[in-house]
Amino acid sequence: MTATLTTCPYCGTGCNFYLLRDEDGRLTGVEPAGNHPTSRGQLCIKGWNAHAFVEHPDRLTIPQIRTKGNLQPVDWQTALDLIHEKLSGIAEKHGPDSLMFLSSAKVSNEENYLLMKLARAGYGTNNIDHCARLCHSSTVTGLVETLGSGAMTNSLSCFDETELIFVIGSNTTEQHPLIGSRILQAVWRGAKLIVADSRKIRLARHADLHLRHMNGTDVALLNGLMRQILLEGLENRSFIASRTENFAALEKSLAPFHPEYVAKVTGLLPEQIISAARMYAKAEKAMIVYAMGITQHSHGVDNVRAVSNLALLTGNLGRPGTGVNPLRGQNNVQGACDMGALPDVYSGYQRVSDPAARLKFSAAWQTRLPEKPGLLSTHAIEAAAAGKIRGMLILGENPMLSDANQNLVRQALEKLEFLAVIDIFPTETAQLADVVLPAACYAERDGTFTSTERRVQRGRKAVAPPGEAQADWQILCALLQRCGVKADYAEPGEIMAEISGLTPSYAGISYARLDGNGLQWPCPDAQHPGTPILHREQCARGKGRFSPVAYRPPKELPDASYPLLLNTGRTGIHWHTGSMTRRSHLLDREERSAFVEINPEDAEKLQVRTRQQVKISSRRGAIQAAAKVTERVPPGQIFIPFHFAEGAANALTNNALDPESGIPEFKVCAVRIDPC
Amino acid sequence: MPQPLNDSTSIYVPQPCTLLEVSDLTPQEKLFRLCLDSGGELGQQPGQFVQVSIPGLTEAPISVANSPTRRGYFELGVRKAGTLTGAMHQLQPGDTLGIRGPFGRPFQLAALVDKEVLLIAGGCGLAPLRSLIQYCQDRPGDFKSVHILYGARSPQDLLFKEDLENWQSSETFSCRYIVDKSPGSSCYDGETGLITRLIGALEIDSKNGCAVVVGPPPMYRPVIAELRRLGLTGKRQIMLSLERQMRCGIGKCGHCTIEHLYCCTDGPIFWLEEIEHLRGAL
Amino acid sequence: MLKRLVERDIYDLLGRIADSYRLRVPGLLDDGTRTLLPWDGQQISLFGEPPQRKPTAYFFPQTDPLLKIDPRGQATPAAVAEKPFALFGLDSIDLAALAFTDRFFSNPPPDDHYLRRRNGALLIGLTGYAGPSRGFLPLVKGNCDLELIACGEYWLARAGCKSADHWLAHYPPGDQEQLAVLQRESAQWNHRAAVDVQQAMELLRQDMVPDSFWEEIASRCILCSGCNLACPTCTCFCVQDRQTATGTVRSRVWDSCQLDAFMREASGHNPLGTEALRTRRRIYHKLVADPERWGEPGCVLCGRCDRACPTGIGMFAVAKEIASRFAISSPD
Repeated sequence: MTATLTTCPYCGTGCNFYLLRDEDGRLTGVEPAGNHPTSRGQLCIKGWNAHAFVEHPDRLTIPQIRTKGNLQPVDWQTALDLIHEKLSGIAEKHGPDSLMFLSSAKVSNEENYLLMKLARAGYGTNNIDHCARLCHSSTVTGLVETLGSGAMTNSLSCFDETELIFVIGSNTTEQHPLIGSRILQAVWRGAKLIVADSRKIRLARHADLHLRHMNGTDVALLNGLMRQILLEGLENRSFIASRTENFAALEKSLAPFHPEYVAKVTGLLPEQIISAARMYAKAEKAMIVYAMGITQHSHGVDNVRAVSNLALLTGNLGRPGTGVNPLRGQNNVQGACDMGALPDVYSGYQRVSDPAARLKFSAAWQTRLPEKPGLLSTHAIEAAAAGKIRGMLILGENPMLSDANQNLVRQALEKLEFLAVIDIFPTETAQLADVVLPAACYAERDGTFTSTERRVQRGRKAVAPPGEAQADWQILCALLQRCGVKADYAEPGEIMAEISGLTPSYAGISYARLDGNGLQWPCPDAQHPGTPILHREQCARGKGRFSPVAYRPPKELPDASYPLLLNTGRTGIHWHTGSMTRRSHLLDREERSAFVEINPEDAEKLQVRTRQQVKISSRRGAIQAAAKVTERVPPGQIFIPFHFAEGAANALTNNALDPESGIPEFKVCAVRIDPC
Repeated sequence: MPQPLNDSTSIYVPQPCTLLEVSDLTPQEKLFRLCLDSGGELGQQPGQFVQVSIPGLTEAPISVANSPTRRGYFELGVRKAGTLTGAMHQLQPGDTLGIRGPFGRPFQLAALVDKEVLLIAGGCGLAPLRSLIQYCQDRPGDFKSVHILYGARSPQDLLFKEDLENWQSSETFSCRYIVDKSPGSSCYDGETGLITRLIGALEIDSKNGCAVVVGPPPMYRPVIAELRRLGLTGKRQIMLSLERQMRCGIGKCGHCTIEHLYCCTDGPIFWLEEIEHLRGAL
Repeated sequence: MLKRLVERDIYDLLGRIADSYRLRVPGLLDDGTRTLLPWDGQQISLFGEPPQRKPTAYFFPQTDPLLKIDPRGQATPAAVAEKPFALFGLDSIDLAALAFTDRFFSNPPPDDHYLRRRNGALLIGLTGYAGPSRGFLPLVKGNCDLELIACGEYWLARAGCKSADHWLAHYPPGDQEQLAVLQRESAQWNHRAAVDVQQAMELLRQDMVPDSFWEEIASRCILCSGCNLACPTCTCFCVQDRQTATGTVRSRVWDSCQLDAFMREASGHNPLGTEALRTRRRIYHKLVADPERWGEPGCVLCGRCDRACPTGIGMFAVAKEIASRFAISSPD
């Protein structure tokens, strides 16, 4: 038996566990890391089952290319040559910007770095993005503007010393279970808890205050809280004076948000708004925790600005037990952003439009680099549907299930001249590809992952990949070499050495230093211990900037023909598009198929019982799912998890995008339910 | 500690058997007639079950629907409910299946001898009870009288219609059946209402009566109440068959526990007084 | 037969055992987690917290192939390694857990798959001053083949059964009086949670714990299943089939009664259909159902579920709450 310490492949919490392998080289189970600062001998149910999908017979084991309509096995050489021939051919004929590269929050920092290098240095386009577009692009845009850094400001250990936690739009016990449990432990220690969520999530059962505001009314709620705080003089005057700018504009913008107005917009009572404002502002140390409930809106960036304004107004920044704490969803979505798998920045958020940064990367990579920022992934799908993007390489993502408006995504991917997919399972997206390459999964390769608290940690190889599958970094090196870009790394540690040389916030990070508990960036030099708390003396941008926002309702609200509001998200059991968890026996057994949560009031009106199949339709599509009648959702709202291909929530969702971050409005659209 | 079996076999290894015949009972239920490839008898006692194995779909517990007195084959009545039973419904004669068992504590036959026996089934419960009914049919002298009462949801949900007719015309039994609801369109002219109505109408010597009840979980409480009104209030007068998820059939997997009991080895047949006080049993 | 060993002798003894067994010894993993690991002759962690991984996992691993079915439907049982395990570093609690599990799987009809691994295995206790910070671990009463008792500068060793005597044959005799001292200390040793668990057991048996309590505890549960997976006497499993071109591998996989699907039937009927019922089962089964069936509780007081639980509702914590909230104060 061997025990290999690695980082969990699921959410961004950053738990560590050991993969256990028997004498035959088979994975037999998982053991939590007993002394790791995040895991502490504990895991969530997905972590406890993280070994289960690795050896699933559905794993891709051999490269395939589409011949006469069907995917057929080929050798690596042929498959890689074909990808390069097609991509470079399209770039030559239609320009490099007719290509799009989708990277993945499931692959390592090194692999994200290599793919962005491939897009930029190899094929000459900044058209690279990844699924952060669908989760925290609003955070990156919003917090960079207000604080200068788009990451969680504080650390998970801060939950142990805070006085109050304000959770808005995060079902933490299900989506980041080991952070959710820390919040609960804080409550039992005596900290106050405010939960703002339209659903009765588990945290709400333990909250001092549960605000069930209507989906999409976050700006009104947050502005209402701030107006009340100012009205009662509960703001932190000295912090505002010394550490912030643009306060006057904020103050002016808040005027309309009196409690009665906010109550009307949000569906809350004025008293709830007043008491939440008091409770939050009176705490000496308060943390705001948020996730997709804030970001996945057509006004997601505004939501983030409002969150940031609230923390600045009360001086809850730069100290232990405070902060603006976006919880990153994927195990390496923070790292994928850090590595510049984004259309406008290189690694470390160095802008492609900045000539100095461009010069630095051109010199290092010995090639000319494009200066025009690239396309957002959501725009790229639209562009592909319009025939403007002609070739696409997708690494470990499944937009067919994860993106809004599935019909549009299918149309876009089918229209491409060439689609290559690198993945571990034959996903719904891989079914549409011209070339499919089999990749090693997290348990089969080395690399680093950056957790939600900016903790860079090692992932380690525990078993050999199945069949001919190769690590993503090896595949990407082979493509870089075909582009004439030097890529002769013997191991991922050498890629990290290149990253740290080019990325100030990772400058002090090397594999040798990551054994133990990893390092939290910024880590600017080889002696630096890492940074648990950002913005301590001053914000990353200097002064914290108040960024006033106005309330805009969601793009599509229920009406007579589509009378219900559809909220989408995940459950605690499954992960995203289900390609891993639905192949893990215990998890699959727990939730076998698509379901829709319906409030008993609506169920009675619709004459629907639990377990009954119903048809749910929106203006974009229709699906079937089993009804689950529950008080968890408020009347007028239904909730569908997006894990299930056979009842794909994203066939219904609205691809109305935030004008700045390009994030779709996953949390609000109008639907109808009919009996099947 | 006991020594394991030899290495060439295991209690978890199913034995192959071949499907002889498949017949439709209702749109959701089929009857499968099988024989062991080894040529031997299954050797079940009425009330026992087998674990049916299909590679790729694991196993499911299914009660044996025929009496061991009918030799040379065994029968399983199967409702299409999950993936394995769904796959079974696709099988054709000549196909093979894996079987482990028979498992479980059978109906307590000795306790029925010389008694006024009430055999009460609801829905799919008639399949396991059929093994006992056939047993009684084949040993008519063993019992003072045998009353069969059967309730189904609707006329089209009635199982074993031919058997029912045969039992009704048999001198060994009194047999009545009833459906909860009969749509106006159906040509059903039998009784409608709940099975408790049939029980209430019985006239038996309650001191010498013994009831065997097999049905869906919601049926037990009302039926038991009705049997008590009939006077079956003593010990060893009501026998029940409980259904639970079972993964192993041998008291190891833990899915079928009822407090300290294992439904697969301590049951599935229980005397009412053994389980009545246990939480979650009924 | 009592023997006296010095540390060097332990390495010698284990070296001889390793020749014929798959030896596992306490060691520290990369992050310092103490657990039983294959021995390659390196330094052994002779003192410390009990191994984190439950010892029963060696005979009943998390994913455990039972059999293979070839494409023609012919099934053959999964092979088990020829060399049996030798586990060194088990305290009295872990040995009790193994004894509990042995009895469970041996109960007729016996689980041959478990027994194939378990039979012939060598269990080696590690007791005396071998706990965290060289704290005291009570001596073992039976349950093991060999026992090494840390006495500070040296070790006492004894065989738990005749067939294991030969391992110790050539060491000098140990001090019986020293053993008697340690035995007295063991008799006086009290587990920190024993009183609470005992009291909770009584209260549950007397039906003094209302359903509202289980609802409250259940609302704190985030459904990680860690309590069950960490528990050395939890034996529940589900079955998974994995099909490839060469056949189907049927395995058993650790299950958890805290999951909704644990008892859910294909019809949708679920005898454990609420979180409160499942939470109650987790505690009640160990403290009331197991004593009823096996004559002793299923909780051996190892504390692993408390450690694995992210929200502090492991056995010790729940027992403590039951004891403090529902105990009737003694009559005047």
